[in-house]
Amino acid sequence: MTALRIVIDVLIAISAIFALAGTIGVLKMPDAFSRMQASTCIPTLGTICALLGALLYAIFFKNGDAGSAVKIAVICLLILVTNPIGSHILAKGAYKAGIRPEKKMETDDLGRDLYD
Amino acid sequence: MRKTTFPAILATFVLCFAFWVLLTWSFTMQELIAGGVVSLAVALFSARFFIHEKAFWFANPAKFFSGLFYWLCIFPIELVKANLNMAKICFTGCKKINPGIVKVPVDLQSEYGQAALANSITLTPGTITMETAEEDGQNYFYIHWIDVTAPSGKEAGDAIKGTLEKGLRRVWK
Amino acid sequence: MSDLLIFAVAFAVLAALTLIRLAKGPTAADRMVAGDAADTLICVALVLFSLFSGRGIYLDIALVAALFGVIDTMLVGRYLEKEGGKEQ
Repeated sequence: MTALRIVIDVLIAISAIFALAGTIGVLKMPDAFSRMQASTCIPTLGTICALLGALLYAIFFKNGDAGSAVKIAVICLLILVTNPIGSHILAKGAYKAGIRPEKKMETDDLGRDLYD
Repeated sequence: MRKTTFPAILATFVLCFAFWVLLTWSFTMQELIAGGVVSLAVALFSARFFIHEKAFWFANPAKFFSGLFYWLCIFPIELVKANLNMAKICFTGCKKINPGIVKVPVDLQSEYGQAALANSITLTPGTITMETAEEDGQNYFYIHWIDVTAPSGKEAGDAIKGTLEKGLRRVWK
Repeated sequence: MSDLLIFAVAFAVLAALTLIRLAKGPTAADRMVAGDAADTLICVALVLFSLFSGRGIYLDIALVAALFGVIDTMLVGRYLEKEGGKEQ
């Protein structure tokens, strides 16, 4: 059982590291689209590993509490399914509203096809 | 407006009912009947908005297992690789980036395949699908890429989604 | 037992750090990205805290946060797409 606790702690620590990377990216990246890219670290590995550890904990240390294990799995699935939809709607909306990075992008095919 | 078919309604009903059971997680008769009635109403109204093709594609075992292989084996490996790359960029100061938007041809024809490919690309850190377009029967994605290393077109497509698209073509044409 | 609490506090601190970007972001898209990230991080922190304290009510709150966290992003995105370009 101690070994399982160590595995759970390592999983959650890995996801905390990736969430820290995403947070640093959101704070320090130079423009809006790059911030979107960096923040994608948070809902992928920053969340999956932590919820996997939580799922193992709920299965093995809560005496077979099926309800909370199923709820954790549903939370993980919902984050993975819904996050890219919001992300690409936000990226498209930001581009069409005229938000551009300060330093001009070298290749910009969407701007070429939409406005020229 | 496209016509609703019976398999589409059935598939939507099964999805809604499974979600209801997962959310409530109680198996008394009253709750199951209430969930069934609500799911049937939702399925009747909304099936035509989101199922336009063959609803039960996973009844074919070959397609089912290659889809399972894609979501459990191919996609997580790409996800971990892209995550390590992005974490390296973030921890070393966010300076060495070269963002740009590239236009990439996509070989998948079915709507499910395109949706799965676009969501996979958006979910890997470093690439976001922004817009889809169709010109002369060929589908294109506009992808925002954090580190443009290949020119727009076929080479950028291979660099971004080569393995993902190869895995998905076994499931949807 | 208390390591779950430590990790939950760590995730909550990360969520609080993204609020800096939400406060000073120059455009609406920056603020929305920071809000989305904070929502996901708070969801994970709630799950861990629920397992630490043993009360199921926090899991329900995390489920609702994960379910409706995407709606505000989609709302702001659609608004920017239709209306955002007009005022410039």
